[in-house]
Amino acid sequence: MDLRTYVIRRFILMIFVLFGIVVITFVISHVIPADPIGAILGPQASPELVEKIRREWGFDKPLHEQFVDYIFKLMKGDLGKSIRTNNPVVEDLLYFFPATIELATSAMIVAIAIGIPLGIISAVKKDKWPDHISRIFALVGVSMPVFWLGLILLFVLYYKLGIFPGPGRLDPGIPEPPRITGLITIDSLISGNFKALLNSLWHLALPSFVLGYYASASITRITRTALLEVLNQDYIKTARSKGLAERVVLFRHALRNALIPTTTVIGMTYGSLLEGAVLTETIFAWPGLGRYSTGAFLSVDFLAVMGTTLLIALIYSLANLIVDILYAFLDPRIRYA
Amino acid sequence: MEGVSKAVWAVVAVVIVLVVVAAAIAMYKPAAPTAPAPAPPAPAPTAPMITPADTLIIAMDTSDAVSLDPARAYEFASCFVVNQLYDKLVDFELPDLLHVKPEVAEKWEVSPDGKIWTFYIRKGIKFASGNPLTADDVVYSLQRVIKLKQTAYSVLKPFLQSPEQIEKVDDYTVRIKLNKTVAPSFFLSVLTFTTSSILDSKVVEAHAKNGDMGSEWLNDHSAGSGPFILEKWERESQFVLKANPNYWKPGEPALKTIIIKHVPEPTDQLLLIKKGDVDVAVDLTADQIKQVENQTGIKIVRVERFHNVYIGMNVAVKPLDKEEVRDAIRYCIDYDAIVNDILKGAAIKWQTVVPKGLLGANPKTPYYKNVTLAKQLLAKAGYPNGFEIELTTPPIYPTIDVATKIQADLAECGIKVKIIQMTASQMYEKYRKQGLQLVLAGWGSDYPDPDSNAMAFGNYRIKQLAWRNSWYDDYAADLAEKASVEMDTSKREQMYLNLTDYILDHGPYAMLYQTVAQQAIRDYVKNWLPDPTFYYLNLARVSKVPSG
Repeated sequence: MDLRTYVIRRFILMIFVLFGIVVITFVISHVIPADPIGAILGPQASPELVEKIRREWGFDKPLHEQFVDYIFKLMKGDLGKSIRTNNPVVEDLLYFFPATIELATSAMIVAIAIGIPLGIISAVKKDKWPDHISRIFALVGVSMPVFWLGLILLFVLYYKLGIFPGPGRLDPGIPEPPRITGLITIDSLISGNFKALLNSLWHLALPSFVLGYYASASITRITRTALLEVLNQDYIKTARSKGLAERVVLFRHALRNALIPTTTVIGMTYGSLLEGAVLTETIFAWPGLGRYSTGAFLSVDFLAVMGTTLLIALIYSLANLIVDILYAFLDPRIRYA
Repeated sequence: MEGVSKAVWAVVAVVIVLVVVAAAIAMYKPAAPTAPAPAPPAPAPTAPMITPADTLIIAMDTSDAVSLDPARAYEFASCFVVNQLYDKLVDFELPDLLHVKPEVAEKWEVSPDGKIWTFYIRKGIKFASGNPLTADDVVYSLQRVIKLKQTAYSVLKPFLQSPEQIEKVDDYTVRIKLNKTVAPSFFLSVLTFTTSSILDSKVVEAHAKNGDMGSEWLNDHSAGSGPFILEKWERESQFVLKANPNYWKPGEPALKTIIIKHVPEPTDQLLLIKKGDVDVAVDLTADQIKQVENQTGIKIVRVERFHNVYIGMNVAVKPLDKEEVRDAIRYCIDYDAIVNDILKGAAIKWQTVVPKGLLGANPKTPYYKNVTLAKQLLAKAGYPNGFEIELTTPPIYPTIDVATKIQADLAECGIKVKIIQMTASQMYEKYRKQGLQLVLAGWGSDYPDPDSNAMAFGNYRIKQLAWRNSWYDDYAADLAEKASVEMDTSKREQMYLNLTDYILDHGPYAMLYQTVAQQAIRDYVKNWLPDPTFYYLNLARVSKVPSG
């Protein structure tokens, strides 16, 4: 089967997966005994007002009717309106998702930049001190709560030393560049606003380090394990016995095969970063998807919850697909079936 | 095995090193310059102003903001912002929240039966757009609230149900016909709330879409005559307000720009205010306030908010139907410990249902922890060995600590409390259906009038707190209703005192405390007045004057 057929088949499968997710989230969010309207209206609202608003939103209809309505709208690209923000969910997602893409992507770059070299070093220097240090570094990364690390970094690097800026995406005095992509770095680049670009990169540094460090741990470990396994294989011995330089053996022969599991981990990690990291977003006052979805979950904002879940599911499916396609580039022996 | 323990030790070592380094940096203070100080006496130590002198930067959690359309804004952050963008017919001027002052209306009259109001509009007011403000705009704005029927409409709904009740007499006179007699102080108080803001009808109608009366556009635009114009609102990021060049009050606003920066994490707000990168921090915790209150350059602004926290006791659940049992519960609770040890300055003890600062606020605090008396009352009610009961509370700080304290207090009296935590959305769903036993909850007033509290806590007919706790007391209900239509303010005050006394003894509540807002400001910020509601604070009068 060629790549195109494979991709098409995967896309069709993806639709079924997403449909399943819609059904599950719909059922879950409608059977839990909580009342979104009451939550929005607050303690003051009388039962009559709650009932009235519930009718306006169509929540008094039978469940299957609500579901059919939802699916029909969904096919037209309409995710409904968020009860909490009163905006179309699509608009909300378009507003909050770019900030998350920006943070997740730069965090991923940090994670790869830390994770892969450390993984290689630990594999090559297995059980020697560089391996121990990288293991500790990775362990600290996964075990340290991100909010703690975030606060400590802000306290030391912003408050005490003043090297990095405080929370937020830009200094208060610097106007946001006109919104094109929603990624401030890209938008300021497009509009040629270099002051905003530098400032936004500077603001991006700490949160991406915090998230990236956390994410680098699994990349380090998987790179190490995979590389060790490859280094023990016969063809590496052959390469070495041919008298190839260790550098060539490592980077040309071993690494490429070792990177296959690493790619999977990177894809999945990126997917999870794109869900939004609510703690990091809170500490760094980052208007991302994590805070939006948490707010939606807490106020049982059905449509916003389903919209975000659907978006996240879509991201995961796409990340999976891209990873699978990348395999072929890393290892030409892999065929799609 | 050895490798693992080695790694663990190494982790511990690294963490210790990190902590030590962080602590060292934290403790580090630059050494004083060695050169001897020159002779002129140094001015009193003041912190320099880092933020621009014409810009006020406020750090605040604004996640609750939904819309800046005055007909919809009903949350703290949105009402706070809307108040800076619009004028109202009448307004309160802090710190006086008992006497309404003229704003757009320069004077007004009310018919003897309290039903027909005539407002005379001040001439010469211009909107930010340059359009003159006339009776048409007033009629349009108030009718708009009634037509759009958003949540905030509930403020006006008791007296205004049809657009025809508001009519133009001439270009500068408006008549409002209420559908029933309402105490004048009550109605005027309601008119000061942001829902009654006056909008520029021409600008708003120019942006109307599908009959929404401009609501979508007004979500993040302003069309008012207030001291500031909304330049932009970047959600979950910041509000930027610019001075309105057409503002009609001379000399205001003092500042050119207001930036309300969304900072959801209190610790961040603490760092920002300590460093001086923001001028005001709104949401510091009680412990953080203690940390900064003695720091040079920072002042704390404190005020009792119109917000009470209480235990509701559902009278339909045995044995809460017995007055002795409810009294016993009130005598089990250590109110002082809750206020002093748990809330640490973020609350005062307050045991009546109308909060301090409002008409008819009743300062009595007869309840205190008295286990002997509580046990006697329980024995008298037929429960010498106590009973078991559920206490529902949302899992948020500091409420959950208060719930735990109450559990411990009631245990001393022999009452076994099971704490049930659920999110606010679940809790209110059950509470509205009278489905809770004991509940730990709060109640805030929208506008500075005792009516909303008296009715909610006293009148079961409106299906709020009294009803949710199944307390069907006609004496309290009648008294609350009578007070809301009493034309004589001093008689009205006496009625609220009687009502609060009655509820104190017979009601289904143990009123725990009134919350205190504590905001940290830099000392060069002038006129940031204590505001019990947070939406009467007029930023037009706030200025920045470096001292020294």
